[in-house]
Amino acid sequence: MDTLSVEARLVERAKAQDETAFEQIMNLYADRLYNYILRMVGNATDAEDLVQETFLRAYQGLPNFDGRASLGTWLYRIATNLCIDHQRRRARRVPTVSYSLQEHENGEPAEWDFPDYQTPNPLDAALNRELERVVEDAISKLSPKLKTVLLLYDVEELSYEEIARVLNIPIGTVKSRLNHARMQIQKHVAAYIEDTPAPTRGQAVK
Amino acid sequence: MHCKRCERQIWAYVEGQLPLRQAQALEAHLRACPRCQRQLEAAQATARALHALPRHRAPANLSEQVRRRIAQTPARPTLDWARVWRRVALAPALGLLAAAAWWGWHAQQSAPAPNTVAADSAESFVELHEQLELADWSPSPTPSYFISTGYTR
Repeated sequence: MDTLSVEARLVERAKAQDETAFEQIMNLYADRLYNYILRMVGNATDAEDLVQETFLRAYQGLPNFDGRASLGTWLYRIATNLCIDHQRRRARRVPTVSYSLQEHENGEPAEWDFPDYQTPNPLDAALNRELERVVEDAISKLSPKLKTVLLLYDVEELSYEEIARVLNIPIGTVKSRLNHARMQIQKHVAAYIEDTPAPTRGQAVK
Repeated sequence: MHCKRCERQIWAYVEGQLPLRQAQALEAHLRACPRCQRQLEAAQATARALHALPRHRAPANLSEQVRRRIAQTPARPTLDWARVWRRVALAPALGLLAAAAWWGWHAQQSAPAPNTVAADSAESFVELHEQLELADWSPSPTPSYFISTGYTR
């Protein structure tokens, strides 16, 4: 049975007041939503509260969930709306805030699972760690619109179509926002690379 | 190839989504352009870093907290459409009923004789002003008004 039909069955059971089904939905999505929300809002306390709120809204909205969107798309949509509301409220209180996500809340080591690119460019662990900090910092400075698309595509690995459904925008807009967001991150990374000794980096195109 | 085009295509190249011919043209440009070469290096490093960002795990007691919040939140009553419809339909129905009653009463009270239509309408104008407490600051009735209605204060 594929993921979608498993989730559809879980939703049906949860709609029929099966508490264990809703528990399973939470188990399936808690980490993904928390990871996404944490980077959207920038601090663990707010992220925890917002992920709880996401599930609470989902629970209350279950009777009206018609299954036209996938469960994941629906949950990411609720989470995104909550994050954007949260950021608007925070923006009214504090003019500018910059957060950095250097700490791993659970104390676990970072996973360094590199995708296999056509031109591998191995950096040592310390450089990766430093690059991670640069990228996290650059993400935190993105506007909510750009940050949402970047996180959903590059970190949460949703497809263009899924993101378009989550945000209710055309696929072309998703692609253009993603490109914008990546270019902004890339600028920070380029500046970092400029300041890093060349011998520690490999050649990009050989 | 110009640097602008190279810049537009660089992410498609990094993700391996650029068609072969375009990829070859881009690579030729990259070999000749140190600036774009640096941009490629930055894009590749960005892509790797984005995909390798650590996954943060939700707090262990998250579902317990959610269950607690669900228990504390009063159940939202499900919409009973028949009830909603009754409520929605009741207001205009009552309004119509009140309007009909008022018009009926008004017609009975002031059924006009054909020769008194002008007088009655002028009377009701003054009455209305008095009811609305507007008579004091509204323009004084004209002499012809007094003649036609016999109105005195």
